[in-house]
Amino acid sequence: MRYTGLILIAGVVLAAVLVAGCSTEPAATETPATLTVGVVASMTGPASTTGKDMWQSAQLAADEINAKGGVFVKSLGKNMTVRLVQGDDESTREGGQKAVTRMITDDRVDVLVGGFSSAVVTAHQSIVAENGVPYIITGASSPTITRRTDINTSMMFHHCPTTDDYGEKTTLFVDETVRPAVNEKFGFPPGRPLRLAVVYQDSPYGKGVLSAVNETITTHGLDIELVASEAFKMGETDFRTILTSVKAKKPDVIYPAAFLNEQVPMMTQARRDVGLDTIFLAVECNDDPDYYKGLGQYGDSSVIESRFSPYAIPKGPIAAKVTAYRNGYSARFGGFPGMMGASTYEGVYVAVAAAEKAGSTARAELASALSTIAVPEMVESMEGGVISFANPFRESRSNLYMEQLRWDAGLQELRPVIVWPAELMESPFTLPAWYRPGSG
Amino acid sequence: MDLERLSPYLPWAGLAVALLVPPLSSGSLYVLTTATIAVVFMIYASAWNFLAASGQGSLGHAAFFGLGAYASALTASNFGLPPVLTVLLGGLFAAGIGLLIGLTCVRLKEWFLAMVTFGFAIIIQTLMVSQFAGISGGWDGTAAPALVPSTVPFAPWVQYYLILAVLVGVLLAFRHLLAGRIGLAFAAIRENEVEARASGIDPVRYKLLAFCISACVAGIAGALEIHQFGYVTPEVFGTDISFWPIIYSISGGLGTLAGPIVGTLAVTLLWEGLRGLELTYARFVLIGLLLVLVVIFLPNGLVSLPRRLREWRRGRGGARE
Amino acid sequence: MTLDPGTLLQILFWGLYAGCIYILLATGVNLIFGVMKTVNFAHGELLMIGAYVTWSLFVLTGVNPYLLLVATVPVLLALGVAVERLAFRPVLGSNKLNEIFLSIGLIYLFQNGAALLWGDDYQSLRSPFEAISVPIADFRLPLDYLIIIGVTVAVLVGLQLLLRRTRLGLALRATSQNRKAAMLSGIDVERMDMLAFGLGAALAGAAGTLWAVSGQVFDPYMGSVPAIKAFAIVILGGLGSIPGAILGGLFYGLAESTATYTLGGAWKDAISFVLLIIVLVIRPTGLFGERGE
Repeated sequence: MRYTGLILIAGVVLAAVLVAGCSTEPAATETPATLTVGVVASMTGPASTTGKDMWQSAQLAADEINAKGGVFVKSLGKNMTVRLVQGDDESTREGGQKAVTRMITDDRVDVLVGGFSSAVVTAHQSIVAENGVPYIITGASSPTITRRTDINTSMMFHHCPTTDDYGEKTTLFVDETVRPAVNEKFGFPPGRPLRLAVVYQDSPYGKGVLSAVNETITTHGLDIELVASEAFKMGETDFRTILTSVKAKKPDVIYPAAFLNEQVPMMTQARRDVGLDTIFLAVECNDDPDYYKGLGQYGDSSVIESRFSPYAIPKGPIAAKVTAYRNGYSARFGGFPGMMGASTYEGVYVAVAAAEKAGSTARAELASALSTIAVPEMVESMEGGVISFANPFRESRSNLYMEQLRWDAGLQELRPVIVWPAELMESPFTLPAWYRPGSG
Repeated sequence: MDLERLSPYLPWAGLAVALLVPPLSSGSLYVLTTATIAVVFMIYASAWNFLAASGQGSLGHAAFFGLGAYASALTASNFGLPPVLTVLLGGLFAAGIGLLIGLTCVRLKEWFLAMVTFGFAIIIQTLMVSQFAGISGGWDGTAAPALVPSTVPFAPWVQYYLILAVLVGVLLAFRHLLAGRIGLAFAAIRENEVEARASGIDPVRYKLLAFCISACVAGIAGALEIHQFGYVTPEVFGTDISFWPIIYSISGGLGTLAGPIVGTLAVTLLWEGLRGLELTYARFVLIGLLLVLVVIFLPNGLVSLPRRLREWRRGRGGARE
Repeated sequence: MTLDPGTLLQILFWGLYAGCIYILLATGVNLIFGVMKTVNFAHGELLMIGAYVTWSLFVLTGVNPYLLLVATVPVLLALGVAVERLAFRPVLGSNKLNEIFLSIGLIYLFQNGAALLWGDDYQSLRSPFEAISVPIADFRLPLDYLIIIGVTVAVLVGLQLLLRRTRLGLALRATSQNRKAAMLSGIDVERMDMLAFGLGAALAGAAGTLWAVSGQVFDPYMGSVPAIKAFAIVILGGLGSIPGAILGGLFYGLAESTATYTLGGAWKDAISFVLLIIVLVIRPTGLFGERGE
């Protein structure tokens, strides 16, 4: 073959680069005085907005910890600084694997924090498991992450609510609050089931929410009838046909499982074009300043489930920390941190707490410390007031809450008030005057 | 440097270098992983390139890559077969579907074919997450047992060598096929289908054959990738997965055996090198630019660069005389 | 599934509106194909750039976005001419596959260039007429959609006038019918290539403005799906046939809308290819396609 010669040229180039790569890659940069935390975040590709938020929040946490003298590790008898390593997964499965392996062997990280898309995370989990690195997953929302049985997930800790969590809480809210409100206002018999429609993204996230809703209705025996469940393609911009078809099913409430770039046009088109005068619910990932700005008046009285909001702070002990984190973030990077940022910020603190508890930076000891740890809640309200992974699937449990959006005439923008659960409520849920229920 | 005289030794030298990657990586799993993924994509790009050699450009090869991946993962985890075996089943399954898709495609030309292949990748992904969700796990995906169980000592290394062996096998097979009657028929069809038919070549038969073989090898590549990942999700049918082998083959050299290898290598090195500069979108812009420039100025890809340089130098020298 | 006439009417209307965007894209693709016998798979990226140009101008000036058509269309025209001159002309006439691969390079270039320039967050803009709606039968028809349909008709009529009533249009059509004969009769066919490509890009730019004004969000990656659908329409309607593109676009918008309603939104993209493949299996050159090239 005429060109086979070039295989050699290519091979030589590869060899040269590898040799160069190995010699410049200082294999022993690891100084014993640091706790090295690898942050898996999408800095490139479609998920990069969230990725940046996660990386910057991790930086903020590390700098705060280092400013206070770092982390005290008993086995060394001294304080160590926290060193962050960025692992860009490029929003792809291949990129994630490259980033994770680089952090494991080249940067010799002690613990991994982050990980966003479930598809990306599942593709590098087995290599993390084989190398025995503790992994605090702060971004992937699929419950399969820590429930896989084909690999050993005992060193993976899920610090981020799953689709099961928000599907369940939102459905319970609808049953406890919206159903009685509708039946009372329109004089329906108290036993009338609420007509719920789910419009979900055709993805693990959307499907996950849908199955959580179904699951909750069945296990709790709720008086909710799922009158429509319609899928749409990820990144869809035109929802008019789907909404027209949903409208024909006469729903009382619509629960979209969508991202911000889908939720905003969907609600706008529903209210403006299709004439769906109904209550829209939203998943927590939409709780972003752009949501309030993008919706304008069309979002009035809609409800969003949340755990970390730019404009609301649940009452209780975490208020001061939330304010400090938010101010620190916007002073350094501008803008508000999002909720994936918040859980990553906590993730770094949790990693540090594990090192303190274990009295060591060895991976196995960090993992066993994590499995029994109880870190006081920080910027998100947690069940029992602590971040803990002491349950069969090593998932922390957040206190999710529901906010209702109200038009602020002074600001000319929507602002949220917490309406559920009772212990966090700022103001009760109300049905607006324009609201029309499905058929009686 | 007289490349011609050295050429018989060159493939061996290339293989030797590839064999040396793990020992040279000094324990870096990153280098090994990057090399493993690159070799998988070399197999995949070679498969795409084999189809292109018959004059058919596919924009939806992810369909075969993904089908091979799913078929292999599902047979391995449901029937407990060793992945080393199911990878071949994945390839066969992809070849079967490739034959069916090929039947609808053989009469189509350039953009029609491009559109239809692109469409098949989307249709298959939609089917996987809707109608076949019960088998495939839908959007949640499904676990894929490791190609080399972690109980085997030096499992990642063994895995790399295994995948490398597949690449060598595929390249030898392609060389054999393209050097023979099939290669001549492909070239004739590529140049002019009507004339090919006039000289007694049945284009439909050869095009279907190209489709089958290409789909089979793409399926094997897909299966290898997901067994290495340990998990398969419908993202495997994504447009980017369809486009990478095109980028690799074009930049390396369309229709040549070495093209996909050189292209994958060059683009991977470029990509990983640029990561150090903290470039994000700019990396994709550069890849796009590379592709545009290669198509315009170096239509035979990077493998033709030495020849082009020589021609250019000779041309200039001649002008001076 | 019960289907009351009101719902049906509404769904057909959304199909009509979606069809407008597709028609503008498909007409552009067809114009380019007619003259140059080439297909630019990066055509959707021109739609995306059109939307961003309109948005940028709107943010800068605050002018009524419909008026910004006047500014967006020339910008895209110039971009189209540049792309033809710099990228497509060098490979024209070589292997047809090269043109496909070139477009893939352009897709990466434009998408990520736009992400660098404008960021990858989605954007949207608000039409000044968004609160106004016209009651027709028993549903409220937003005024914007009526304007969009009107603008599309006006653009298409303008294009027809250009092609049928001017010397330039005559030259374009001559090149499209027989390139060699056109060249022999003194037409600068390379200029016609640039013009056709520019016009095609301008139509995509107009579609981009309408996309943005209708309240649909856009991001750097939004162009590929509509473009793919535009190609499907072109193939359905026949390469090089502008009336075919218009009919195909309408038919397509309606088919997609009905499929979404009956099969569910997950099939919205896939259904176009199912249709396409069925048509191509029966007729490998498209429904109204010319025989050969």
